[in-house]
Amino acid sequence: MAADSETLNAALRRLSRDSSYSAYASAANALHELTPEASELQILRVAISRNFTVEGMVPVLEAELARAGFYPQVYLGEFDAISQDLLDLQSGLYSFRPDFIVIAHWLETLAPQFGSRFISMSPAEATAEIDRVLEEIRTRIATVRQHSAVPVLVNNFVLPPYPTLGILDSQSESHQIGGILRLNAGIQTIAREFPDVYVVDLMSLSARLGYEQTFDERYWHFGGSPLSRAAMCALGREYMKFIRALRGRVRKCLVVDCDNTLWGGIIGEDGIGGIKLGSAYPGSCYTTFQREILNLKDRGVILSVCSKNNEEDVREVFRDHPEMLLREEHIAAWEVNWDDKVTNLRKIAARLNIGLDAIVFVDDSRFECDFVRENLPEVEVLNLGEEPSAYLRLLSSSGYFDSLTFSREDSLRTQMYRAEAQRQDLQNSTTSLPEYLASLRMVATLGKADEITIARIAQLTQKTNQFNLTTRRYTESEIRRFASDPAMDVFYMKLRDRVSDLGLVGVAILKYEGQQATIDTFLLSCRALGRGAEGVLLEHCLKSAAKAGADRVLGCYSRTSRNAQVADFYNRCHFATVSRTTEESVWEFGAKTNFFRAPDWIQVEVIPCKEIHAVK
Amino acid sequence: MLSSEDKLKQVFADVFGVDSNSIDENSSVDTIEKWNSFNHMKLVLALEEQYDVRFQMNQTIEMLSYALVKVVLSEHGIVFN
Repeated sequence: MAADSETLNAALRRLSRDSSYSAYASAANALHELTPEASELQILRVAISRNFTVEGMVPVLEAELARAGFYPQVYLGEFDAISQDLLDLQSGLYSFRPDFIVIAHWLETLAPQFGSRFISMSPAEATAEIDRVLEEIRTRIATVRQHSAVPVLVNNFVLPPYPTLGILDSQSESHQIGGILRLNAGIQTIAREFPDVYVVDLMSLSARLGYEQTFDERYWHFGGSPLSRAAMCALGREYMKFIRALRGRVRKCLVVDCDNTLWGGIIGEDGIGGIKLGSAYPGSCYTTFQREILNLKDRGVILSVCSKNNEEDVREVFRDHPEMLLREEHIAAWEVNWDDKVTNLRKIAARLNIGLDAIVFVDDSRFECDFVRENLPEVEVLNLGEEPSAYLRLLSSSGYFDSLTFSREDSLRTQMYRAEAQRQDLQNSTTSLPEYLASLRMVATLGKADEITIARIAQLTQKTNQFNLTTRRYTESEIRRFASDPAMDVFYMKLRDRVSDLGLVGVAILKYEGQQATIDTFLLSCRALGRGAEGVLLEHCLKSAAKAGADRVLGCYSRTSRNAQVADFYNRCHFATVSRTTEESVWEFGAKTNFFRAPDWIQVEVIPCKEIHAVK
Repeated sequence: MLSSEDKLKQVFADVFGVDSNSIDENSSVDTIEKWNSFNHMKLVLALEEQYDVRFQMNQTIEMLSYALVKVVLSEHGIVFN
């Protein structure tokens, strides 16, 4: 394979979407093909001294290190040679000159009787064994601390899911689980005795995963590897949390979307009274999520808002909605507008004077998340998906903001950054939005209203507020009447991309009078905004009008409190002004004088029309 | 379940760090340089995740070539056209 960083970058981009073991292996292999110089990453050396097989975890650690901007070099000690590695100053481990030392130890190798023949031990013997194990660990750590000053990560032990004594275990004076808990407490005490020694909580990690997901007995017997694929991935990422925290690569700023992220529903559509928030389902999911965000703020995470909305609508919710936990004063930077989110994230980073690699971006929309991932690989992206009750866990399990210190200053950080934001000038930047949109391979299907689509078309005219030029509300029977009127056309547009099918998202209604066509209604569902699809629908209208013999097409914009974003739509589409007031403007497009073309990144399919029967 | 060979070849490519075009019926422990015991374990783990199956240990010991991997996968209902 070619030894260039593009292969690695492609593998890392894949990893941001696909955290499969295969993707980790692929990224690790891409790294091995590169010299540190060619990678342009900072070298970071990790020495792992172990008494069990951790080889399956190494690609995960390597790939995660590369994602954090490091070129990993990993030294693996010989199997079950922790003392040899750590006690001998001449060992390969020390001559490797590591930046981090990981002690990966497994209790069954360290104290076999404890794990599998506990029942044969008297209480006194069990206590003596605990003391012996802890003394061994203390000696190792004390010696490392003498020989090296780099951070040491040492794990605690996993609890046995089925203790030898079964239900009697918890009743006994000397019980197996209690013994392991004492060992774990002892490890914590030892770690606190020495500077820069940190406990990796493998016990909690296994509890999170569950027994079935933590162990894989097959490779324990075959190769001394006790951990399952899932546990090795989790452990690699757990080590990373420490390395990021100790290397100052923690994320500092959480950038949140608003609609269907901080509250249920869409403020521009549902209004402040219609969004879901509060103590009852589904609002409670969002309230719980906001509480966690507030906890993060108190831990020192800077909060920012990035949302496609009218800023005043969003501000009103933060100010006036009684169930909002997040308030205006909690937010350091706002980018609430109709620009794309890559532009807005860049602005936020510039305003707060932080790197993009300090940002975690949270959004429910897969479209927005993928767009950011493609264009700003430094930003960590959390796609919340469609199940609001899962939002809290998705955020809290990520560990993006884990640090190893906590101070009062941390909880004041947002205030500091708010001030910073006010000092900074905004800067515009260009992005490769068209390239990204092309990569979505969108297909628009255009057709005339038929029995199947009439209900949805009527619904869209009733519900759509933001991208709606005239905001005329129509019932199903009205749409049916228009559709069967020879002097009218009701067009719909469906949209799909390589990821998902968005369904019927656009509607246009045309009226013909002689050689003139008027666009009575032109709207686009908010789920299809920002993709250029409106151009496809408009081009279809213009072509259809021309076919019907109209050489002049009139478009009208009627202002409402919600549709400011399309005030300039016809102007942007090269229509000429006929008349214009703040409330209403009329525009015209002459087939001979004006020129408009839909964006070329959307493929167009036109459905031949069917008969519609008017209701008598 | 019908599955494509491209997907399978991609797993091999990911695990062994080779081009997926270089994988064919004759690919095996003897032809792929990086197919050692640790990478074999990685292959097993990656395949189990990709196909949502769990192999028996004796199956994993058997699957020492691309063709044999397909045989073992077919025992789990994964069929290649």
